[in-house]
Amino acid sequence: MLSLVSRRVRNSLVLLVLATLLCFTLVVSAPGNIAVLIAELRSPNASFADIQKIEEELGLNDPIPVRYAGWLTGALTGNLGISYKTGEEVGPALASRIPVTAMLVAGGGTVALLLSLVFGFAGAMWPRHWPDVAGRGVALLGASMPSFFVGALLIYAFAVELRLVPTFGLAGPSSWILPWITIGLLPAAVLSRVVRVGLEEAMARPFALTAVAKGLNRRAILFRDALPNIAPTYINALGAQTGVMVVGAVVVEPLFAWHGVGDLFLTGIRFRDFMVVQACLLIFISFFILLNLLVDIGMIFTDPKLRRQGS
Amino acid sequence: MKFLRAFLSTLAGMPKVAVGAVAIFLFLGIFAPWLTPHDPNAQDLLQANQDMSISHWLGTDHLGRDTLSRLIAAARTSVVGMSLVLILALSVGVTIGTIAGYRRGWVEEGLMRIVDVGLAMPSLIVALAVIGIFGTGYWNMILALALAWWPGSARISRAVAVNVMNRPHIESLRVLGASPLRIYFKHLLPTTLGAVLVYATADAGAVALAIATLSFLGLGIQPPTPEWGQMLVDALPYLEASPRQVILPGLALTAVVIGFNLLGEAVALNRVPTPLSAKILRKRQLTAALWTREAA
Repeated sequence: MLSLVSRRVRNSLVLLVLATLLCFTLVVSAPGNIAVLIAELRSPNASFADIQKIEEELGLNDPIPVRYAGWLTGALTGNLGISYKTGEEVGPALASRIPVTAMLVAGGGTVALLLSLVFGFAGAMWPRHWPDVAGRGVALLGASMPSFFVGALLIYAFAVELRLVPTFGLAGPSSWILPWITIGLLPAAVLSRVVRVGLEEAMARPFALTAVAKGLNRRAILFRDALPNIAPTYINALGAQTGVMVVGAVVVEPLFAWHGVGDLFLTGIRFRDFMVVQACLLIFISFFILLNLLVDIGMIFTDPKLRRQGS
Repeated sequence: MKFLRAFLSTLAGMPKVAVGAVAIFLFLGIFAPWLTPHDPNAQDLLQANQDMSISHWLGTDHLGRDTLSRLIAAARTSVVGMSLVLILALSVGVTIGTIAGYRRGWVEEGLMRIVDVGLAMPSLIVALAVIGIFGTGYWNMILALALAWWPGSARISRAVAVNVMNRPHIESLRVLGASPLRIYFKHLLPTTLGAVLVYATADAGAVALAIATLSFLGLGIQPPTPEWGQMLVDALPYLEASPRQVILPGLALTAVVIGFNLLGEAVALNRVPTPLSAKILRKRQLTAALWTREAA
């Protein structure tokens, strides 16, 4: 099992190196001279000498591999450069925004977890009856509605018409509810189908038949025999959906005026603030690679077949 | 043209609602200029925020533009953008996938490693990053989305190509002295293309959604060109006064995505799993068989 885990870790590291290379190449290949942008930011009437000085300062005249090495060592120590727009350090600005996004994704994940288990179980408990049919309809709708539309509808219904919660902002639990539901609806829809389908497939296996023959009722079989069987699939899907939620944060954060990483990424893109875009991209990609790794390891631990294969 | 027939016969076995929704979307997209009752960009501030009426069936927006016309014109923006993205992404993806499937060994290893990096990153993040570096604009958006979408089609086409290359008749062709180019262009490419086209149909909804999302964020289609995501964000400040302007484009987009998702479900490439009935299993086997069917 350990060899299996270490192989996954090694693959992830290779992927991570390739991804940093990609992040770096993207910014190097950007059109226009970065030094001119910075010079104009510092003083409106910058001279050619100023531009040359900045080029020297940032090492823009060094060979590409040297620049890559410099950038990578900087990134590893948390030095992600200086924003062209605000002149602030990107590292601390990014770090201050991570808790907001983490809170959004964690909240959305909780919503998705609860809804998917309830709907999935109800569907598997009474297959092809109304809870199942309704669950399938809601799942199709939830998986197809764009999150910004879901958010806009929720704001209209609960904030504008009913005035139960604030329309936007981050102030107290009442302002958390709408963003959490907005970001959690799509994963809830997908995961509820994963639970529903997984349970039904488990119920068709011989061990479930044995349990029925022993006289256990359907609920007991679902909980005790079928549930552990869907764990690897569910963990896999939950990991994938966590990724979906992090991407969703880019859309949901501006809608509710939450200042998280997604919002920072967008601001960077709008002002073509390359250092911010690069830093956010790096954080996103590292997160996705780490997430995939954790999902793989989680599956190795929950799936006895994989566990035995490695040892 | 056998793969086209295979494609159409697959389409005939799909849910009617989904085919209908997608057909309406494509029809509106193609014939938009002749279907809009008003000029979608004509402003008339005296007619701003009108309710539904005979002359403006779905009312007007805050600049007095006819909502129905804009919704129809937006379908065209979507169809054109989606097609461009898919054509670009598929040409790159199928080329790389089939080359990797044809020439196994280190060529395949190298190409698939690049594809892996592409697949490790979510499409929207890639597209956003590319736009962030190269700036906003119509063609930048198309290129960014194509860049984000090709790894998926590369992976599928490699899988299909490997399957085709392992069949006995390819070996026979080799023995008979068919040139590599003949095998590649006459036997491998058409078959793979047919399969990937089915995949693309199912994935088109995600592309349409991505275009709308980028436009919603102000990084895709720029005003005044009508686009559903952009119409929605445009009307958001007036949510309290005229929620209809927000809801209508959202509904249009949702209907299209539902249509494409149901199509995707029918070809078993869905994101939302359905219980496996005997019927679905049979259909899947049939679809899988169609994917790899050799064009004569």
